[in-house]
Amino acid sequence: MAMIERKDCIRALTAHPTTTLAALADELSSGCEVRWTRLPQAGLGLLRLSDGAFHEPYYLGEFPLSVCGVELIDGEGRRAAGAAQVMADDAALARALAILDGVLAARFAGWERIAVLIEAGVSLRAEEDRRRRIMLASTRVDFALLSSDENAGDADED
Amino acid sequence: MGYVAIKGGGNAIAGAAAATEFLRTNQSLHDAAAQPLAINAVGHQLCRLVDRIVSEGGVYHPTYAALAIKQSLGDALEAAFALRAWRSTMPRLTATPVLDTSRMRLIRRISSAFKDIPGGQMLGSTPDYALRMLRMELLDESPEIFRAFARDWLKGFADDVDADLPDSFPKVMDALRAEGLLPPVDKDRIREAFDITREPLVFPVPRSAALATMARAETGSLLAMAYTNMRGYGDIHPTVAELRVGYLPLLLPHPVTGELAEIGEALITECEVLAMYGADDNGGIPTFGIGYGACFGHNEVKAISMAILDRALQKGMKDGPSNPSEDPEFVLLHVDGIESMGFASHYKMPHYVTFQSDLDRLRTTQSKAGASQ
Repeated sequence: MAMIERKDCIRALTAHPTTTLAALADELSSGCEVRWTRLPQAGLGLLRLSDGAFHEPYYLGEFPLSVCGVELIDGEGRRAAGAAQVMADDAALARALAILDGVLAARFAGWERIAVLIEAGVSLRAEEDRRRRIMLASTRVDFALLSSDENAGDADED
Repeated sequence: MGYVAIKGGGNAIAGAAAATEFLRTNQSLHDAAAQPLAINAVGHQLCRLVDRIVSEGGVYHPTYAALAIKQSLGDALEAAFALRAWRSTMPRLTATPVLDTSRMRLIRRISSAFKDIPGGQMLGSTPDYALRMLRMELLDESPEIFRAFARDWLKGFADDVDADLPDSFPKVMDALRAEGLLPPVDKDRIREAFDITREPLVFPVPRSAALATMARAETGSLLAMAYTNMRGYGDIHPTVAELRVGYLPLLLPHPVTGELAEIGEALITECEVLAMYGADDNGGIPTFGIGYGACFGHNEVKAISMAILDRALQKGMKDGPSNPSEDPEFVLLHVDGIESMGFASHYKMPHYVTFQSDLDRLRTTQSKAGASQ
């Protein structure tokens, strides 16, 4: 099973329906004590960009953001720290992702099921990326400059 | 609200809300199979309108933007107002580190300055070269054909159709800067970004305030301001160095590891323009003037207009405005759709007392004028 880095897990997991993630998080944390290190909360984040002309920082606007942090303690007393920040107005989703993050990081029981979800999510995102890249590849343009050749401009046509 | 000197009207106001809801739903009186608009359908099939709302509302939430469009019966200003009102109820949790757009997942990239740019030009989805003819076949569109098109379109490409595309594309501006054709990046000029949602615009304002204000401005207002410069009340004469549309990965530090992690992505449009070249203030070689525009969603007219105005405002801030589009106060205080629409709409509210005062003064003036004749 090919694993991706922890920093890339949110993108892979959020390719799945929220209900799937919440159900798995509930199931995997049922044998654990769950302590909040940061209560699930929905709010906004501010997007700070570097402008393309002078590389000055500015704020483009806001985005929905939900956050949560947990400490998981399993039946053997092992502890795991999990946390999530996700671009969504859904605190319950952040809670589920934080639990999955902790279970996966500490390899608690059932972590392989999260890895399977991640692997499937990576495939779903790759398909999405491919559709976008097809939009680029299929519209690549090479305009010809006007010249004495009256057929100029059709050079890139099949 | 001192000049709305009225009370009552509660039943009529509730009735107006019900009448609006009747307008939204009355299709069912003539069509037994009428269905409410699915938010998902609005998001997909009216995506350009959604793009405007996320940009003008100032918060990238395409689903709530689609909801706002639905509840406002397609009124773009009202929809942006509703989205911005929602954002005002939400706590600010954090800000991203300064992100750059070099890793955008592009769906369109063009330059009008150069035929050949590193990585190539890709038109993506655009009406630019299409005839603006009504597609009458959509009047009674077949659901089967509708569903089949996307599937068949994807099937038409070989698996390796995108094999020669790079993962990221270099910026045209970077190449020009490397050649010494653009003003150098002045690191001393880089300061903390101005937050227009927390601080009032008290002039003079830094450029970051201007960029943030224009990024959530109303598209038509921004276009009108930029158009004055294009048509003759200005001398920017822009050339689009690069226009990019794509999905920007949003990154925040992971709360446990501290490593930057992707939390989602936002569709944005970004444009850099080259303007007339000018002399260097410090006696160096002349370089092109440059302007920058960006906004949430796919909205090229807005990004280009913003880039032109950015350049015009730089000029106005440096030398003093010589036309309206170079005047920061004139531009930045009049391009917000929610504010300008609110001001226009308030004239519909009862002004009985203030107008009674106007009437009294006019009658008094008339009687005095009549008496003197």
